[in-house]
Amino acid sequence: MTVGVGGILQSQLWRARLWNSLVTAGSALLCLMLLPGRAPGLELLGVAPHWVLIWVVAWSVKRTVWEGAIAGLVMGLLQDSMTAAYPTHTLGLILVGVLTAQLQKDRYLQEDLVSTALIVFAIAVVNETVLALQISLDQLFNPDSPYPLATKIWFYHQRVALSSAILSSLWAPVFHYPLNQWWKTHNKLMSAK
Amino acid sequence: MIVLTIAGAWWLRSTNGALLYETYNLLSRPLHLGTNREQKFENSYILELQQRLIELERQNQLLQAFSDYADSVPQPTVKAAVIGRSADHWWQHIILNRGSRHGVEPGYVVSGPGGLVGRVVEVSPSTCRVLLISDLTSHVGAKVSRSRAMGIVQGQSKNQVIIEFFDKFPDAKVGDVVITSSYSRLFPKDMPIGRIESMDNTKGRAPKAVIQLSSPLSILEWVVIQPFHPVESVDDPPVPSSHDSTKPQGRRSS
Repeated sequence: MTVGVGGILQSQLWRARLWNSLVTAGSALLCLMLLPGRAPGLELLGVAPHWVLIWVVAWSVKRTVWEGAIAGLVMGLLQDSMTAAYPTHTLGLILVGVLTAQLQKDRYLQEDLVSTALIVFAIAVVNETVLALQISLDQLFNPDSPYPLATKIWFYHQRVALSSAILSSLWAPVFHYPLNQWWKTHNKLMSAK
Repeated sequence: MIVLTIAGAWWLRSTNGALLYETYNLLSRPLHLGTNREQKFENSYILELQQRLIELERQNQLLQAFSDYADSVPQPTVKAAVIGRSADHWWQHIILNRGSRHGVEPGYVVSGPGGLVGRVVEVSPSTCRVLLISDLTSHVGAKVSRSRAMGIVQGQSKNQVIIEFFDKFPDAKVGDVVITSSYSRLFPKDMPIGRIESMDNTKGRAPKAVIQLSSPLSILEWVVIQPFHPVESVDDPPVPSSHDSTKPQGRRSS
């Protein structure tokens, strides 16, 4: 009898884990699929929300620094695959994961939507700055660099970072809220069992 | 599990996102453009113009045959719809719904209504990624159509590009049409790029001009992919003088 109950519990646990993996991977894939799209009203100065960054922030907000870093690495590699290997997006997104997890640990981050939007705003700027830094370094140290002068890059950086930060922070709750609710329920279920 | 996820992401990166773009193509298919009444009307007008063009091209070919003009055989082109744009904020890409299954290869040249758009950099079975000429890394060998003043066109991440002339005092003025030059390696010659909007002769070493692209890159919906095989040999100097071939822009000039 006890074996039977244990078996049912086991299968329920497995089912819950499977659903959790599916939701996690599915939401990540959805973010990647949103990247090349430019729905009307989603653009500001030719820049769209950074969906992958929103996902990494949502993932890292209640996890450890390491988990945040790994999510940043994986999503960075996937975004690289959709654009180009250099400048790599992994560095910026790893930093995003680490920073978000650390800020949450230090209790700078509350659970309300406003602080989420604020944190996404700041972190989007950090992410674009890492990319701009990589391009500037390439321009400085690579004599065959195809990039224009650093002044032009940083001028462009201002435009991109600001638009990306505004749009990403506004759209962050769309993923942040449901995903974190889901993970919360899942964790509760797991600990109950 | 973690290793598997990272390995999976790495594998996807090594395939340049082919699987991701295939999925994107599949998911976004319902949103792809169909033709409505207005477009049909416009298409018939375009058809008329095309037919006139074909006639003119035929006449042109006859004339060129007289003057020993080489390689003027028109090649079949592929029409494609723009289904997406760059997956980050730094690259200027467009994603098209035609790929290797439709005969598209990397290096093929893409043009839209108005002129040159860019070149195919990555191909998956049913999509391809195009690097626009407005990208920061894009360099195109170009000339002023009227005076043959040569230069290199560089992207600015917007619908304007900058041409940097080779000459100290180029014969160019506002309103001049700029086209690709025959020294361009990655693009066929004589493709329209845009019109000079303003000149900047004062500062810097080389005179520059701002060009308004004739193709509206930010609102492109349909483009034409034409086969082109880039000239890869480094023996030919990209610009007439031997000095210029050592210049970084010259090496990158496309």
